[in-house]
Formats: sequence, C-alpha cells, structure tokens
Amino acid sequence: MNTAVWLVRREFWENRAIWMIPAVIGALLVLAALFGKVDLNMPGQLPIHALAQLFLVAVAATFFAVMSIYATWYLLDCLYADRKDRSVLFWKSLPISDTSTVLSKLGTALIVIPLVYFVIADITTLMMAFIVSVRSGSNLGGVWHLDLWVQLQVLWIYLILVSALWYLPIAGYLLIVSAWAKRAVMLWSIMPPLALLIAERWFLGSHAVAQLLWERLVGWVPLAFHTNPGEGVWMTTIVDNDSIRTPQSLWSFLNLSSFFSSPETWIGAAVGVALIIGAIQLRMRRTEI
Amino acid sequence: MSALIEASDLTKKYGAHVALDHANFSVQAGRIVGLIGPNGAGKTSALRAILGLTAYEGHLCVLGREPFRERTALMDEACFIADVAVLPAWLKVDNAIDFVAGVHPRFRRDRAAALLAKTQITGERRMRELSKGMKTQVHLALTMAIDAKLLVLDEPTLGLDILARRAFYDALVNDYMDETRTILITTHQVEEVENLLTDVLFIDKGRIVLDSSLDDIALRYAAVAVAADKSDAARAERPFYERRMLGKVVLYYENPNLEKLAQFGELHTPSVSDLFVAKLSGGAQ
Repeated sequence: MNTAVWLVRREFWENRAIWMIPAVIGALLVLAALFGKVDLNMPGQLPIHALAQLFLVAVAATFFAVMSIYATWYLLDCLYADRKDRSVLFWKSLPISDTSTVLSKLGTALIVIPLVYFVIADITTLMMAFIVSVRSGSNLGGVWHLDLWVQLQVLWIYLILVSALWYLPIAGYLLIVSAWAKRAVMLWSIMPPLALLIAERWFLGSHAVAQLLWERLVGWVPLAFHTNPGEGVWMTTIVDNDSIRTPQSLWSFLNLSSFFSSPETWIGAAVGVALIIGAIQLRMRRTEI
Repeated sequence: MSALIEASDLTKKYGAHVALDHANFSVQAGRIVGLIGPNGAGKTSALRAILGLTAYEGHLCVLGREPFRERTALMDEACFIADVAVLPAWLKVDNAIDFVAGVHPRFRRDRAAALLAKTQITGERRMRELSKGMKTQVHLALTMAIDAKLLVLDEPTLGLDILARRAFYDALVNDYMDETRTILITTHQVEEVENLLTDVLFIDKGRIVLDSSLDDIALRYAAVAVAADKSDAARAERPFYERRMLGKVVLYYENPNLEKLAQFGELHTPSVSDLFVAKLSGGAQ
C-alpha cells in the first residue's frame, strides 16, 4: 500500500502537467469570469436555475474533454518514457514489481488524473459562480444552487467510475503500445486499428471494426445515461413562444442499472484486464529501447 | 557454503543471435568479481539475466532465487547500477532519496544523506542539472545506503573523467565493501579495476572461458619475457600465447613448470588485462 502511494507521488513529480493543465484552464475561466461580459439575462430569459445548470455542465464538460485527451497521451507515454531515457534500469533496481508499476500508471490515468481535474473544476466553478454573482449584482443565490452543485459532484464521480470501467480495454491497449514500441508511440497506437479498419473495408467491404471502435469510444453514453428519463423530470419554460425543456435534476439521467448490467461493459472490462496482463508481461521483458 | 550466484547452461538468444551459450559460472559471497569480455561477448546479457531483467534458458540461481520470476524479492537484497546516466532527468535529489526510502526496506536514509553531504550536491537539484560525475555520486550514494548482499555494476564509470572514476572506485572499496557483501562488475577498463578484484570471469562469444580467483591465477599462469634468440627453446614448453615486445618475446603458460621456465628469463604473473588478451587471442588460434 505504501509503495502504491510512492508510485503515484512519483507520477506527479514526473508529470507536472497532471495538475498544471487543469490549473491553467481553471485560471483562464476565472479570468473570463472576472473580465468577460456578464449578463445573466442574455439567453432569452432562461430560468436562472437552468442557466446555472448549463454553466456547471459546460465547465465540467470542458475539463472532462481535456482530461480525456491528456489521460490518453499519458497512458501512451508512461511506460515508453522511462525506456527511452533508460531510467527504467533505475526503477527496476528497486524492489517494486512490474505489476505494481503498470497498475500505478493505470490507476493514475483512470482515477487519479480524473480526480485532480474534478477538484480543480470544482474550485473553478465555485470561484466563477461567486465572481459572476458579485458582478451581476445579484446575491449569491443568483447562480449558486447548492442542489445543482451536489448533483454535479455525484455526476463527476459517476463519470469517473463509468469511464474508467468502460475505457479499460483502451487503456490496456495504450499500455501495451507504451511498453512495447521502440519509437513513435502515437503512430503505433493508431496504425493497427486503422490498418484493420482499412483492410476490412478493402477485402470484405464491411465495417465491423470501425463500428466496434466507435461503439467503444462513445457507446457508454447511451448506456450510462437515460436519453429520455420521462416527462416528470423536465421543466418547461416558454421563451418567445418557444417552449424550452430543461431538466429539473441531473440525478434522473444516471442509468446505473443499464450500464452495470450491460454485457458490453463487462466483456470490455474482461478484454481490458487481459490487455493489462499483457502489458505487465511486456514490461517484465522489455527494458531499454 | 553455497554460491551467491550459480549459473549452469545459462543461455540467452535474441532471434538467431546467441548472446549466452550454455554459460556456467558461480560467484561466492564476499568477493569482488570482474565479468570481463569484449564487446558483444554477452556481459550485459549475463547481468540482465542475473538481475531478472530478461528471460533466459538454463538454470540460474541468485541469492537462492530465480531472478526473472522473483525480481521484486531479489531486489530487496541485491541492487545494481546499470549505467551512470539512468537517473531520470526530472527527478530531484531529495525526491530520489524519499522515494527509495519509501519503497526499499533496507535503505538507510542517514547513510545516503551522509554520503551526499560529502559532495557539492544539494537536494533541490534535478538530475538534468547535474554533471555526469555528480549523477554518479547521487546514484552511488543511493545504492551504497542499501544494505544489500549483492551489488551489480554494469560499466558504472562509462563516460566519466578519470577523477570521477577514481572517486567512484575509492568510495566503493573504502566505504562499501566488507565481508558481507559481494560485488559483480563489468567494465571495458580492465586496468582500472584489476587491483580491486578478487575473482575474474572471462566471457567470450557467450561462453565463460575463465572462472578463477586472482590467487589461483598466480598459481596457474605464468609469463616469461625471453630474448628473441632463446624463444624457440621456450616455445618447446608450449605457451598458449606469445607477444612481441621491444626485441623480446613474452610467452604465456598455463600450469607451467616454473623451474624450467626460470631458465629462459624473469617469470611474472600476468596482469588481468594481459591474461585477458592472451586467453582470448589464444583461443582464436
């Protein structure tokens, strides 16, 4: 356990971008709130509750999108970087198993990095909400809705858990490339699936591989969320003769039962575990480049 | 007493290339052993196998363990410096000490701090800011602070200037080595280590061609410098190698008849580097 803590700490020393990228995004958003144009009445008299919701989700989505890209890059680089600079020979001179090493990288990518983004996104939204409230002259209650904020916390945790489980095979695949490639990890990660995809289309005229990949990239969204959670949760506002529907609560969108009972989730996880075992085996055998 | 390292029929292949070809050797506790061979002889492959960094065929037992399967447990009691340049550039000296102290049960933090206090290196520095010599000092301090039974050094002074090299070996012999420890070292610069070694292993083309203590070398081998006109008589004693030097011929013998050889000229025990050249060139004849 203690070793695990040191291994994660090590990742923070090596990859300062883990917290610097979200910190910069957060700082930019706070600056925008400080000096940007603030007009809470702008989007056609949307109810303030819906506006706050939109704002919270937009900030969260921004962080989540950047985090996904960074975590992908991190996974590709993590086992490759210390083979490239030969420091793998130092790390392997310590009594740390290759399993611990690989799992520490996996855990950093799928849990620790998302948590860092989550915390910084939280701080950012709190600061922005405060600034906007003060600037727009309303009291804090204007954009600040505790219920929404709590919902968002739950949403984040849910997103982290669901995406960690769903993306396990992708993470395992990236770790294999990272443990194996002699150079150009980015290219090596893209080439095999692309080659398969093209070969299939060329020789068979079908596109099962493309579909499978696409399904793995975005397929968790319809599984993990209700697209239509029922009429009761919507709030309808009439703006300029248009009726705009906004959700009353984010809770009702979470669809745990469909996600956790889907065979796709668990088949994917099983494939992920197999790929991670493969990455550990490669890590045991491959040292420097 | 059983050997610290025991290898029999140790074989390592990279595709069609055979790096280790049924090598047999053993290393006893408390010795300083030089693993010496030309480039591509299989030195690094042997060390990699001993350290559990690579899979192999044959039997290999290090500190009672099977290195590849039990690398983690092995690294509790064995440590290695693979090269001076392997500490990652982003690592701070302090963090390096914290990390090793955190994960290594036998690391003595105070010892590492004391060793570093003798140098110019401060804890806030990152490895990328240090010279090669300084990096070696850090790595050596980290390694010497581990209470290990076996220390493996693979070309530890590569790329260092002569001052840093001398300091490295002095620290090793004076501050580290005692009867509970064993050091296995490979290097190109045989001259530099030959007076600290107690044993040598010569390796060539993946095979061990000599496994001997220096004391045994003195008993088993002799060289004699003979004037050119007496060389034919000396050759009758069947030297395994000869070398021309300043009008004389130096002849090398295994299991020599010392009384007879003394007639031809002054006898001496060949140095490790001379013996290495003699053995490997002789083998080629």
